[in-house]
Amino acid sequence: MKRFGYVVFGLILLFMAACSSDSTANSEGDGGAGSGENASSDTVETGSVETTVEASGDEDVVLDFWIHQTGEDETKAYIDLIDGFNEAHEDIHVNAEVIIDDGASAYSDSINAALVAGNLPDVMAVDGPYVASFADAGVIQPIDDYIDEETKNQYVDSIIQQGTYDDQLYSLGAMEASVMLYYNKDLLEEAGIEPAESLEEAWTWDELMDHAKSLTNDDQYGLNLFMNYGVGEWLTFMGAPLAWSNGGGLISEDGTEVDGYLNSPETLESLQYVKSLFEEGVVTESPGEMQFEEGKAALALGGPWIAVSAEDAGLNWGMMPYPYKDERVSPSGSMAYAVTNNTEHPEQAAELMKWMTNEEAAIKISEATGMPPAQKSAFENMDKFNERPWSVMKEQVIETAHARPSTPAYPVLTDAFAQSFHAAALGEDVESVVEQQVQRVKRELKRFEE
Amino acid sequence: MSGNSSSAKSLTSDRTPSHTRRPLQKVPSPKKQKRRKSQAFQEAVTGYFFLAPALILLGVFLLYPMGAAFYYSFTDFYILKPDDISWIGLENFTYILQDAEFRQAFWNTVYFSVIVVPVQLAVALVLALLINKKIRFRVFFRTAFFSPVVMSLVVVSILWTFMYNPNEGLINQLLGLVGIQPQPFLTSPDQAMNSIIVMSVWQGAGFQMMIFLSGLQNIPNHLYEAADIDGASSWQKFLHVTLPGLKNIALFIFITISIAAFKLLVQPMIMTQGGPLGSTKSLVYHIYETGFNYRDVGYASAMAVVFTVIVLVITIVQRVLVREERG
Repeated sequence: MKRFGYVVFGLILLFMAACSSDSTANSEGDGGAGSGENASSDTVETGSVETTVEASGDEDVVLDFWIHQTGEDETKAYIDLIDGFNEAHEDIHVNAEVIIDDGASAYSDSINAALVAGNLPDVMAVDGPYVASFADAGVIQPIDDYIDEETKNQYVDSIIQQGTYDDQLYSLGAMEASVMLYYNKDLLEEAGIEPAESLEEAWTWDELMDHAKSLTNDDQYGLNLFMNYGVGEWLTFMGAPLAWSNGGGLISEDGTEVDGYLNSPETLESLQYVKSLFEEGVVTESPGEMQFEEGKAALALGGPWIAVSAEDAGLNWGMMPYPYKDERVSPSGSMAYAVTNNTEHPEQAAELMKWMTNEEAAIKISEATGMPPAQKSAFENMDKFNERPWSVMKEQVIETAHARPSTPAYPVLTDAFAQSFHAAALGEDVESVVEQQVQRVKRELKRFEE
Repeated sequence: MSGNSSSAKSLTSDRTPSHTRRPLQKVPSPKKQKRRKSQAFQEAVTGYFFLAPALILLGVFLLYPMGAAFYYSFTDFYILKPDDISWIGLENFTYILQDAEFRQAFWNTVYFSVIVVPVQLAVALVLALLINKKIRFRVFFRTAFFSPVVMSLVVVSILWTFMYNPNEGLINQLLGLVGIQPQPFLTSPDQAMNSIIVMSVWQGAGFQMMIFLSGLQNIPNHLYEAADIDGASSWQKFLHVTLPGLKNIALFIFITISIAAFKLLVQPMIMTQGGPLGSTKSLVYHIYETGFNYRDVGYASAMAVVFTVIVLVITIVQRVLVREERG
């Protein structure tokens, strides 16, 4: 009898082990949108990286560098790049530390802890929309002095837009991100619906609604919005372009005024549109993890990582541009690097940033992660992005990408928008929820008034 | 009831966990008594030596943070500006009164506790009564009921999130078999908290079951025999022998569950992120979010202070009740 108990206990342990490895695998799928899409993992491993180039002791400058990772291939690419940097620069040595992004708050917790303790590294990875808050607090420093105009022009506009606060450049990144309207070729063919082939043909809101409706039946949903990522950054990343496309916004251009923006008629109208998608039953607020990949949703507004998982699942898939109302805009932004105020060597730190985000790096990281590169020339030199369907993603990143708002109140603002979006999805009274959220952001903004 | 519990022996006592039993009283021999005085000092030193790690840890990880939180609750400490902390008096505390989210989180937590405490207590008692019977596979059932306790709460939460999924979740698949429409367990503001309650009771009851079980096995058999002779029915035996015998243990469990319920954090964090529409946001989760996601450590500290006071009041009220019961 007793032995039987032990067997059961052993089985449970095995079960637990299986589950925890499963949840780490989950977070890899998030790619590098660097957002809080997936909060379902609690294992975080952090540690120094085994770089093959040892410090010789002759270097004048030693730089501590924090990188974040969501997958092993990505880390390998970073380590290769850092090794290359150490070899190419005799007077600088980089010590890199990898912090695994669990999709929740592990990475920002590490930054917060180091910040309070006063031991931030010289260069660190930061999530694009958070640049403003770090810049405003003086945690990171402007790099305009070290980056010339020509270098700056090599990056896609949205990455410069994302890294700029108060007219000064603070961050540079190697990868972009985007949201595409993925489609299941078989299901669209069955329904006789023609996909959009280029930016110009992008579907309007009405077309998306009509097609999604006719693609919805007892076996499948017309559209998947990946609501299973939870109420977090994903909803702002994926959903805010709806407001911009309609002439609305989340906050004023200078990032100081929320009243009249988050609750503007245009923004509210875009949320009403979201609400109507759910009310028509073409999309569910609780899709399974693999709803699109399993063919249970005909269309999906997903990140670049969906292309990877759809391919892995053997789905006959394609991608279209992000749908629009008046103006064509699309989601943008990803992890980037910034030089902290802790460093004694800003010039060398900026050199490292340039190295980590140059064309070669952008291509390498794009190949490792499936994310679009942040360098214009990288797009030209990667065959993948010059043929369909990936060319659509390239066009979108170069032409319609719109960075998320640059404001120190971003952490609260993004939650305010995500809550409003989610309320719309649940069929709640959008206006009253938004009004409540506006008050919340207003209180937060007061903190930054000088 | 309080004096005789350690002497009671039941047939299965070798299988009960020992942590709830009282240690046997040491009866010193005359020889030992002589040595006692010289040993006393040495024992005291050794005692403190053994205490030291616990005291140091308590000081560093409990007392100091509590003091710091109390201080920060009067400041505008913002994580990104750790060098720029200014005293703002009671401003944080007055905002608590206006904060709709705090109010919502408070009532969510109260709702959770008011349901979970009695239900979990009852479930634990029923389970204990069931496996206290001499039935087949008893050890298996005991292991099965206890196994959720040894699993990480995070793992359990993730598993239940899958099970609750409206389209592909196990529970809805089962409901579908008997013709019930898929339920939005975690995505509807009306159901989410109740779904978390069910899962929490399932996860937690096993532990209290073990405590009840040891309590049951400490009820002397002769009381039941006496009841049998008096011709009591099994219901009467339960009412007049079992329940009074378990009173102290039940009160202990009541207090521990209440405090644990008030500290609700992991389930909403993993399963719903406090949603939908804040319907599962607990006080502790609200404090966590404010401090770490929104970086407002000052305000989070103020809420933590208020939270501590609330828990303290509940504990004191319960202690007073317990004392009256005993009197």
